[in-house]
Amino acid sequence: MRDLIDIWVGTQTWIFETLVSPLMFHFGLMAWYEPGYNAVEYVMLGVIQILVIAVGMRFFERRWPLERPSGDDRLVGVDRVYTLLNKLGIVPLAIFVVTYPIVTHIELQIRTWGYAPPSLERLLPWLGDSALASFLVYFALYDFAAYWLHRAQHAFPWWWALHSLHHSQRRMTVWTDDRNHVVDDLLITLALVLFAQVVGVQPGDYVIILMVGRLIESWSHANVDVSFGRLGSRLLVGPRFHRLHHALSNPQERHIQDHNFAPVFPIWDILFGTAIYDDRNRPTGVDDPTVDADNGRGWLAQQATVFWRFARALVPRFRRATAL
Amino acid sequence: MKKLAIATVALVAAATGIARADSVLVLNSDEASYSVLSRSSRTEIARHPVGREPHHLIVTPDGKEVLIGSTVTNELLGLDIKTGERRRIVKDIIDPYHLGFSPDGKWFVTAAYRLDHVDIFHADGFRLAGRIFIDGLPSHMAFDKDSKTVFVTLQQSGRLAAFDLQTQALKWSMPVGNAPAGVIMLPDDKRLLVALTGEDGIVIVDPRSGALQGNLQTGKGAHNFWPKGDGRHYFLSNRVEGTVVLLDTEQMKVVASVRIPGGPDCMDITLDGKELWVTQRFLRRVAVIDIEQMKMVASIPVGKSPHGVFMLRPGPTAGQGPLRAVSTSGETR
Repeated sequence: MRDLIDIWVGTQTWIFETLVSPLMFHFGLMAWYEPGYNAVEYVMLGVIQILVIAVGMRFFERRWPLERPSGDDRLVGVDRVYTLLNKLGIVPLAIFVVTYPIVTHIELQIRTWGYAPPSLERLLPWLGDSALASFLVYFALYDFAAYWLHRAQHAFPWWWALHSLHHSQRRMTVWTDDRNHVVDDLLITLALVLFAQVVGVQPGDYVIILMVGRLIESWSHANVDVSFGRLGSRLLVGPRFHRLHHALSNPQERHIQDHNFAPVFPIWDILFGTAIYDDRNRPTGVDDPTVDADNGRGWLAQQATVFWRFARALVPRFRRATAL
Repeated sequence: MKKLAIATVALVAAATGIARADSVLVLNSDEASYSVLSRSSRTEIARHPVGREPHHLIVTPDGKEVLIGSTVTNELLGLDIKTGERRRIVKDIIDPYHLGFSPDGKWFVTAAYRLDHVDIFHADGFRLAGRIFIDGLPSHMAFDKDSKTVFVTLQQSGRLAAFDLQTQALKWSMPVGNAPAGVIMLPDDKRLLVALTGEDGIVIVDPRSGALQGNLQTGKGAHNFWPKGDGRHYFLSNRVEGTVVLLDTEQMKVVASVRIPGGPDCMDITLDGKELWVTQRFLRRVAVIDIEQMKMVASIPVGKSPHGVFMLRPGPTAGQGPLRAVSTSGETR
């Protein structure tokens, strides 16, 4: 294990000290020295994720597809762009620049009041002896927050206006997970980072939670006819479980998308009565022509049109203007 | 056989949670833990949880405890200086990034790096005397000999600030260069050395006025000091350059240098004065330097982002009286 860590941090350090550190030094960015080093790890993890998706998960999609090839396959291309922009840190960097002052301001305000995040290891001392147990507890807490944020994305019309871009894909694949509007990404990031700070998730754990969580989410969007089994599908979100959440609504199932919200652990859907387990294969997408029109557009066009959709949902004056 | 001995030591230490004078503490700032290393076997023998984001540590004026500052959980963890055994937790010390006791042991000062303030406490009972909010990431500190003034580097605003300990008032704040970090007072009490992490060396500052008296090129990302113990030579880590250099402060020049990859940061010297231990922040290791040869002889794996490092010791040394304040910027030993 230590050999693997040495290879990983050795590579990260080499990249940082050879390419990034001299630039940061030259441009007077030394106050960001540690975040700069962490950013290198983020990009490295992104490359690993892309490889796992492109090689590992795609193998399963080709070998055991749920939906057969069709004319909609061309719609997948833009999702690959989303994945690259996210996993290689381009969108996250932009989000970091925007959210950092906000997060910092809130964090400093809270801490100035004397608030210190709880240490679960102090409440449950045995957690301190097991890095894995500690990681899983924080992961579960993080996923719990993500579950409720996801419900909020569907509950508020203005947020749905953004999130509907993610659901508009008619050809759901391993690449679909990152298909989100940047404002949607920004809001989710802001909420989850603040939650992680309040709960006391370690910076090191946070990166791993993010990576493992996003990989599981990529897998849950896969176009594969593979099941974790009766027990497994209740422990971890899989493709069948999450595909139902993306199902196109129909007269018999008007609110089918208001189920199976959990990103990683289905326990939240089971506990809060939003879980549906069945093996029916439903088409995916959104039963709304304006949202369905996202299909066929490129990244920039999607970002622009969805932002306008968001603005209209947010500001009543824009809605009236559109109605006229 | 050697492995068996190491394993036995590790097992005993882990089971009891107690270290010994042969042990070295390393704060894993990104893992909320500290590692206990065996100096003789050069292995990690235990890892214990501690608050959140521990960065620096300090010996109490009576020399009986070492205090670890846990920045996010706003507390100090006190460990027995001989055994490493947990003694107490001091609460409500807000964002204790860097810590120091004045040489007379009456004042305890913290630099709240994230929260932009300097707190001055009465060391007896850790009673807050004054909190001074000051922009620019308060980073490291040093004291004058008569315990009247504390000097704090402001990493973001590029300044060095001096505060009166008795009145907690700002005496002066002067620009010194890009991203100042480590600062020490030389034994003559007339020169402060400030390491400039955003530049390639150090500056010499007049402690009375903050005026710059000179500078010295040492390497890119000059960061932190540690005294060799003879009152004349000081080690300095250069984080970007990836070196530790030895400064002769009488001639004011670099007299030796050793390459230490992975962002070398805090240091401590073994009690026999033969080895310098340096945290390698990025590589998750601690380097061991043979001081006589100025050569890296070992690099020991620890946790993520190791920062402060400290040698446990058999208590105040006989004949020298109680240990005076020791901080990670190493003003006195």
